[in-house]
Amino acid sequence: MSGELVYLTCRVNGEEVSLHVRPEEIFVDVLRDRLAATGTKVACDLGACGACTIIVNGNPTASCGLFAWQAEGADIQTIEGLANNGNLDPVQRAFVENSAFQCGYCTPGMIMLARALIDRDPAPSRADIRNWMGANICRCTGYEMIIEAVEKAAALQQEACNE
Amino acid sequence: MNETAPPLNVVGEGFARTDAVPKTTGTATYTVDVSFPGMLHAKVLRSPHAHARLTAIDATAARAMPGVHAVITRDQLEGLNPTYGYFIKDQPIVAIDKVRYIGDAVAAVAAETERQAVEALEKIVVEYEVLPTVAAIESAMADTAPELFEEEPMGVVPAYGQGASGARRLGINNCYRFSYETGNAGAFEGCDHVFEDRFLFSRDQHFHLEPFVSVARMEGETIDVWSSCQNPFPLRKELARVFNHPENMIRVQVPYIGAGYGAKNNCKTEPIAILLAKLSRRPVRFCMTMEENFLTQSQHAAILNVKTGVMADGTFVARSGHIWLDSGAYSDASPLVAEKAGYRLPGPYKWKHLDIHCDCILTNTTPAGPYRGFGGTQASWASESQIDIIARSLGRDPLDLRLQNLKDLGEAYVPGESGVDSDLRAGLNLVADRIGYSDRQSGDGRGMGLSVGFKDAGGVNKPAQARIRITTNGGIYLHCGTVEIGQGVQTAMSQIVAELLNAPLDRVSYPALNTDYTPFDQGTNASSAIVVMAMAVQQATLKAKQKVMEFAAGQLDCSVEEIELDDWSIRKGNESHPLPIMIMRYYGGTGYEFTGEGFFKPDIDHSAPLETQCVSWEFGWGAAEVEVDRDTGLVNLKQLVVSGDAGQAINPLVCRGQDEGSAIMGLTGALFPCMIYDGPILMNGNGLDYRVPLATDIPDGFVSILQEQGHGPGPFGAKSLGEGCMLPVASAIANAIEDAIGVRIRELPLTPERVLAAIDDAQSP
Repeated sequence: MSGELVYLTCRVNGEEVSLHVRPEEIFVDVLRDRLAATGTKVACDLGACGACTIIVNGNPTASCGLFAWQAEGADIQTIEGLANNGNLDPVQRAFVENSAFQCGYCTPGMIMLARALIDRDPAPSRADIRNWMGANICRCTGYEMIIEAVEKAAALQQEACNE
Repeated sequence: MNETAPPLNVVGEGFARTDAVPKTTGTATYTVDVSFPGMLHAKVLRSPHAHARLTAIDATAARAMPGVHAVITRDQLEGLNPTYGYFIKDQPIVAIDKVRYIGDAVAAVAAETERQAVEALEKIVVEYEVLPTVAAIESAMADTAPELFEEEPMGVVPAYGQGASGARRLGINNCYRFSYETGNAGAFEGCDHVFEDRFLFSRDQHFHLEPFVSVARMEGETIDVWSSCQNPFPLRKELARVFNHPENMIRVQVPYIGAGYGAKNNCKTEPIAILLAKLSRRPVRFCMTMEENFLTQSQHAAILNVKTGVMADGTFVARSGHIWLDSGAYSDASPLVAEKAGYRLPGPYKWKHLDIHCDCILTNTTPAGPYRGFGGTQASWASESQIDIIARSLGRDPLDLRLQNLKDLGEAYVPGESGVDSDLRAGLNLVADRIGYSDRQSGDGRGMGLSVGFKDAGGVNKPAQARIRITTNGGIYLHCGTVEIGQGVQTAMSQIVAELLNAPLDRVSYPALNTDYTPFDQGTNASSAIVVMAMAVQQATLKAKQKVMEFAAGQLDCSVEEIELDDWSIRKGNESHPLPIMIMRYYGGTGYEFTGEGFFKPDIDHSAPLETQCVSWEFGWGAAEVEVDRDTGLVNLKQLVVSGDAGQAINPLVCRGQDEGSAIMGLTGALFPCMIYDGPILMNGNGLDYRVPLATDIPDGFVSILQEQGHGPGPFGAKSLGEGCMLPVASAIANAIEDAIGVRIRELPLTPERVLAAIDDAQSP
């Protein structure tokens, strides 16, 4: 335990969170150990695999490489915050319908990564999707079904907007 | 399909997986998520030396560190059977007399936080007497090589059937040999051509994203362990032996598993977590880092010498081979992998004589163990590469030569074996047509290659049990021991049950495994679930259904033949009788549960080389198109077409995911650096330096084609799937490279350096 505690205030899935964190504390540990939001997973712990991807102020971010104090004032979305009253987000729906996961361990990170893409570009091309989703590792699927699911998610969201 | 079979309602449909919502909403529980009040965290001190005698170890200072509740060194192993392994019990919980690779466990600490545990580890004083090391197969086999085990560890050689045998310690650091022979050794003398080639296979790491992890606690004297583990029942048995503890007082629980690809078998984190829990009387979580995963388990590197005799017309006659597997520092599953690598080396071709040995060689590197494909990946690499070498030498097209020699549907693999349950030629023609093989323009840097990946599936002498429970209101519980590790077994088994009970899929639940009440299973491995466990599930379901029908017939005063089960009602002519009312009228208002038990095991058969006939043969047909840059040696994969045969797909989406995922795993061994050793030092054992395929590495021309040939032995004609499509990838690419630039590469991975070296070799006079 080193240094003085830091007071952190941020928004996690729309709710304000305030807590004291150690200077060296990592944000994914705050999520998993202190906020009981265990949907976000840790794998490589080096910011390389993207399993721990969350959205920080609209940017997909490896939460294993984010100090807790860096989240001060941030607006944070995690996998737990996507579904709305039991209604799945279009990205979640597309992953469900297209079977775009297997073991599921990379899936929360993949879904958040895809969510951030569609937030920026509601109609990404297949090449754009491949490039963007190339940030995260899935060892199970071979990626094709994930890429197709992201295409579908964009389409589902368009449909919902048009209704 | 049988023409008289009734139409299927649930089986064959691409339903959303039954684990879809938990896994896409972050609510699925994995072992990493399991937590108890007061839980401690374990960390392990690992050897900095590849080979050393442990002369002294003192943990006194570590025990006094803040937050520390228990410390394990060799002194805490007294009273235990402190070594584990599959056939050979050679791997200690923590080092006893020696360390044998960089990363070998030396001591462990349980503390209130991981950080405290790490700080305490730094206070442990260890004295080593450093020994010479052997880091590769050939140096480890040398007469003067230092031995990892001076004395023979406890172990067994299992019984084998016709033509097969096993042996231990036939040479320095040789921990096991599997041999198989059939036919007359004189067969080579009658051959017009004999080809001898040496192939090298690198080692991939599983790179499962959920690390090795377990949480152990003592509930009274019951050991309660949650583990990310593919074989909980064998693990329970091994833990009972290690801890001298009654099996009925060991409970293994397995929630969702963040993948394993073979790695999560047998003891990994569990003995240390349990021993620390016993010493501290607190729950203990031992979660490895990805760096530790790399120091715990890998695939087998291999040297494969293959000699093949053929006739001038291309007829295959005889094959002999010698494989040496790099087993790393402990035997682990190496004897089993050797059995499979050796047995699979012939490939699915018509041979008159076979003579194969596969040796497991211990080296001072990470222990090698089960890895998807299980020896078949190594065997297919050598076998399918050599077939192209033979074809080119004979002036034959590699496709035609394969079509000439492949086994026929139903033809026995070797004497005493079952017949192959796929039409091999149909599968090969399918991928060749899809990639445009017959119209290809070979040479000038562009070319295509084919390969037939092959393995025997379903395990060896594998028993499986299952239980069905159906509640008063029609809720169906399927209890079976195949764990959901990503392969979609929960969905596939539930679809089978729903089909048999004429029920919608959402009435079937698949409770997570708990060895206290889940019926026995030997393990989630060998692409066996759909042909072994599914048979037990089918039987359990039909028995439960029979009880429901007999009960209903009794209540309705008619025969079973007069009624049908329609969802959770009984149809009798035009009448519909809801079962809940009938059940409560007879059993009382709190109701009842109908149950059914199922069991399956292949028969013992000494004429079969592995003592039971193979249950199902698994194939992966592959075709690759490459563009090779002669200046840089870079192999640009333009197309990769793979196909597996599901027999009857229970869920085609799940099947597609398995085929594509396994093909891209196969791509790792083909074109990615794999584990790079500098002597005994692993240079890239972490998530940043180790490269596995990313979405951006996959060519637009990557396609999988799911076949449903209908010949499988499982329910509804299903057969094994999920490993086959990784098997042909490396050899198809190497064959395509030769088609493109006329150069044969016999060593994996197919790096630019090797391609350039091969080009240089071909150009030198």
